[in-house]
Amino acid sequence: MQKIKQQIEQCIEALRQDELTEADLSAVLDALDETKPKRQNLLYLQTGGTSVGSGAHGCTMVVDGQITEPPDQDNWPYNSPIDAMRDGWRIIEFPNLALLMDESRTYGLGCEFILEKWE
Amino acid sequence: MKTYDCEPTLADQQIIEFCKYGYLMLEAVVPDEINKRVIAFCDEHPEGNPNDFLKEAWFVDKVLCNAPAVGVVRSLLGRDFGMPLTISNHRVHCPREMNGGWHRDDGSQQVPEVNYLQVFYYPQSTPVEMGPTELLPGSHHLSMSSHFMKHLDAIADAHKTAAPAGTIFITIYSIWHRASTSTGAGIRNLIKYTYWRTVAPTRDWVIDSAFRLENADFATGSTEPRRDWSRVCHDTARMYLWLRGELNNYEWIGGLAWPATATATAVQANEFCPGLPANLA
Repeated sequence: MQKIKQQIEQCIEALRQDELTEADLSAVLDALDETKPKRQNLLYLQTGGTSVGSGAHGCTMVVDGQITEPPDQDNWPYNSPIDAMRDGWRIIEFPNLALLMDESRTYGLGCEFILEKWE
Repeated sequence: MKTYDCEPTLADQQIIEFCKYGYLMLEAVVPDEINKRVIAFCDEHPEGNPNDFLKEAWFVDKVLCNAPAVGVVRSLLGRDFGMPLTISNHRVHCPREMNGGWHRDDGSQQVPEVNYLQVFYYPQSTPVEMGPTELLPGSHHLSMSSHFMKHLDAIADAHKTAAPAGTIFITIYSIWHRASTSTGAGIRNLIKYTYWRTVAPTRDWVIDSAFRLENADFATGSTEPRRDWSRVCHDTARMYLWLRGELNNYEWIGGLAWPATATATAVQANEFCPGLPANLA
C-alpha cells in the first residue's frame, strides 16, 4: 500500500508539471492488482496408501473459491500427491493413521491427503 | 404390508456377484408403453413421494411386479417378500451441476444382512447427459457416515448408471451413491422403492449343480483400490453366507485360505480346502 501511495504522489507531482502520462496511471492500476488478496485452493486426494507416491482413486478440487468437479479419471490433473507437489501444491494434512488402525473394517475411501496452493 | 412370491432367477455365482458389487442392473425390462404412462403420471404428480402409484394396478403389475426384477428380489430376499410401502421420485430439471453429493441413505448399516433392497427405475432414457445416479461398486462394505463424505467428489471406479428407458437397478441399501451432473435439457425421473424380507435367509435360489463353494469367485479383480484383496473376498463371502443362513458356520482364518480366490481355484474336488467350514463343503 505504501508503494501505491508513493506512486499516486508521483502522479500528482507529474500532473502539476503537466507531465502525467497514461503509463503512469497504468502502473498504479497494476500495483493495485498485485495487492489483491490471494485465495486458498484446495486439493483432496484419496489414495490407496500412505505414501505421497500412492495412486489417487478420489479427487476433489476447490479452485478460486469454487468446488470444481475434476473430469474423468484419465484427465485428472494429478495422479498422486507427489504429482501435485511437483506442481507447487503443499500438503497440509496427511492421512490420519489413528483412523486407519482398525483392521477389521475399511473406513471410507482410505488414505486422504489434503493439499493447498495460494493463487 | 402386501407380500409377493415368484420363482427366483439368480444362481449362486450371481448372488455372489451381487454381494461383491452391491447392485445389479436390468436394462429396458419395463415396456415402453408403461414407461410413457409412468412419465405422464409423474408429470401429473410431480411431488417427491408420489405414493398414488401404489393404487395403480398397471404400475404394480408392470413395474413393482416386473418379472425380471422380482425374480432377482425373490432370489435375494426369499419367498413372500414384502412389497414397497412408499414410492419416491427424484425428479430433476436438467441441466444441473452437481459437486460432491455422495451419501448412503439414512439408516444405512455396514452389516452382512440383506433384509431389504433399494430399487431404482428410470422411466425415460437416461444417458450421461441426463445425470444418472452414480454408484460406488462394493461401497456397501465400507464404513462411513454420509456426514463424512461431503467433501468427496470424483471417485475413479464409480459407475454412472446411464441406461435406456425401462431400466431397473437393484441395490443393497447402504451402497454409496449420488446424483451426477446433467448437461442435457428436460426432466429426469428416478423412481425409487424398497422391498422387504419376511422370512429367514436360506439358500432357496436357483441351484446350479456345477457350483462348488470351494471354487466360487469372491474377488473383484483390480477394480477395488480401497480394500485388500483377501478383505474383499471375506466381505463378499460373509454376505453370501448370511444369505444362505449359514454365516454362523464361518470363521475367517485369514491368509490365503478360503474364501481367497486364488487358493479356492487351486483346490480340486474332494481335496481339503483350508478355511472352508467343513459343514459347508
